[in-house]
Amino acid sequence: MAAPTHDRQNPAFFALIAVLIFMSVGPVLLLLANSLKLDVDITSGAGGLLFMPTIRNYETALCDILWYQPEHLRFCQIRFGGAFINSIIIALVSTALTLIMGTMAAYALVRFRFMGRDSLSLSTLAVRMIPPAVLLVPVFGLWNNAFCLDRDGLVGGMIREIFGGRGDVCLAGTHSGIILIYVAMNLPFVIWILQSFIVQVPYSLEEAARVDGAGPFQTFFLVVLPLIKPGLAAAAIFTFRIAWNEYLLASALADRNTMTVPILIVNNASEFDGLGTIFATGMLLAIPPILFTLFASRQIITGMTAGAVKG
Amino acid sequence: MPRIRLEGLVKRYGAVEVLHGIDLDMAEHEFTVLVGPSGCGKSTTLRMIAGLESVSGGEIWMGDREVAALDPKDRDIAMVFQDYALYPHMNVARNMSFSLRLQKRPQAEIDKRVREVAEMLGLSAFLDRKPGELSGGQRQRVAMGRALCRDASTFLFDEPLSNLDAKLRGQMRAELAVMRQTVKKNMIYVTHDQIEAMTLADRIVVMHGGHIQQQGTPSELFRRPANKFVAGFLGAPPMNFLEVDLSEEGGVLRATGRGFALALPEALADRARGAAMRKATLGIRPSDLDFAPAATTDRALDLRVVVSEYVGAQSVLICDCGGARVTVEIKSETPVALGETLRFGVRPEGLHLFDPETERAL
Repeated sequence: MAAPTHDRQNPAFFALIAVLIFMSVGPVLLLLANSLKLDVDITSGAGGLLFMPTIRNYETALCDILWYQPEHLRFCQIRFGGAFINSIIIALVSTALTLIMGTMAAYALVRFRFMGRDSLSLSTLAVRMIPPAVLLVPVFGLWNNAFCLDRDGLVGGMIREIFGGRGDVCLAGTHSGIILIYVAMNLPFVIWILQSFIVQVPYSLEEAARVDGAGPFQTFFLVVLPLIKPGLAAAAIFTFRIAWNEYLLASALADRNTMTVPILIVNNASEFDGLGTIFATGMLLAIPPILFTLFASRQIITGMTAGAVKG
Repeated sequence: MPRIRLEGLVKRYGAVEVLHGIDLDMAEHEFTVLVGPSGCGKSTTLRMIAGLESVSGGEIWMGDREVAALDPKDRDIAMVFQDYALYPHMNVARNMSFSLRLQKRPQAEIDKRVREVAEMLGLSAFLDRKPGELSGGQRQRVAMGRALCRDASTFLFDEPLSNLDAKLRGQMRAELAVMRQTVKKNMIYVTHDQIEAMTLADRIVVMHGGHIQQQGTPSELFRRPANKFVAGFLGAPPMNFLEVDLSEEGGVLRATGRGFALALPEALADRARGAAMRKATLGIRPSDLDFAPAATTDRALDLRVVVSEYVGAQSVLICDCGGARVTVEIKSETPVALGETLRFGVRPEGLHLFDPETERAL
């Protein structure tokens, strides 16, 4: 019987909410609807919701990774599928690495006492203040020339034998090269954000775990890590989105085979034929961050440490 | 069960020494209470026994093992923390079984143990709840349960009741006293509350300023405090202290202060004569003063009642005695009016003398 205690809301309030929902969800729905239309339907101006849905646009967009040749295509012009997979690999791996290293670094900075701890903690943020564009030229040079394995050397030769290709084995043009720079770019912020979460885990919990017989790693993984899940989720969303959308560094460091979706779209803007394909690629581009964010945000539960200690 | 022995335990933080060589020998299955005001080093001592603080000097023996350098997990201890320190992401059952799961015991054994302990503490209905869904008293019980589940030889309690409200504290104190009878373990309990210390302890260790002031059974400490600090710390309301001059009058040693001259009982007088002192601090517990209008002046104090605090069957009177404050505990039915000067008889065995310089008892 909660109803009588509620005040009756002004109808205008509901209208306002409806408008807000429409504004935020509308464009996505429009994107989805149009991606399922033929070009003629999109441009006919009717704009109606009555149309025959087709996956043809998606076939066009993903033609390079489909196992069959779509009927309406004479040849596969845009290699969107490959770039899409590159993007997913790079975003996921760099997010995972950033979180692993970030959590451990943040934990050490919060819990261990060592010389220069405070200045180290601050300097992580200072790194963050450098715009990525400044990094571009030196990183480009290093990745192309400095960090290379001789193609006649043992490891370099092996890589060339297995993966093929010419020249010395360099970081430029590899997934690892891009992942590395994304990890370096995101790590300071992740360390910084996780520090504030780890500080909130009561130290007596860790002491209790030690008395209960947990070693340092068990304490970290069984007690601390579950409690900073919300922080991990926030950091993961942040890192994933940056890695997914980043253009500048990836455009300089990627080659034909490792380019990510943003690069592909810019490079091939003129080659997209038809609005339908653009909508379909837009939709595909939006799905991973949406899924990832939905998944990660479910971990963000407030009051995670409630009941741990007398507060 | 190993006997726990501390030898010359020292703790330093940088240049500051907070524990100055603690020597303590605890018997098997003994319930030892470390008690003292905040900052006296009692918690530090406990945490050093637990292995949560490093040892700056001295030794900690458990049975025939020197454990000062060992990790907490290798010391065979269980600990109840002041703020409970329950793992908030685990339910009650998992909280209690954490150490058993770390030891990789068989699941059936873990379940059995958790059920037994939950039964004992009345937690059976809450095993699936998270700590956040429990009340303060229940959390306290879970914290105890977690320690009990782990079959350690020594239990450490770090002010476990100080976060509870007064009523619950009394209740938990009684439960602890019951648990103490059934669980045969070494127990070391830290508190700043002298009532907890008096009611629970086999042995009380009073600490102050990083030194042990006195140790012994509750009644020993209450009846024969070793110094002024112990005398003032144990007992509520605290002991009254009055500055007195000692003088011999006709074979009787008298303690003379402003407005009174008490005759000292023979045993006490002998000890005072032995110390050959002219001045001393006289200690009288509030409960050793009785309303006695007919008493003679060498056995009584004349006190002016300033405040009367009614606490039920007893009343606590705060009185003035020649400028000094004296507290008296009497039965509430005694007719007392504020501002009146009344005569209170002193029980001879309730008189204590302390050296004003060293504060040691005579």
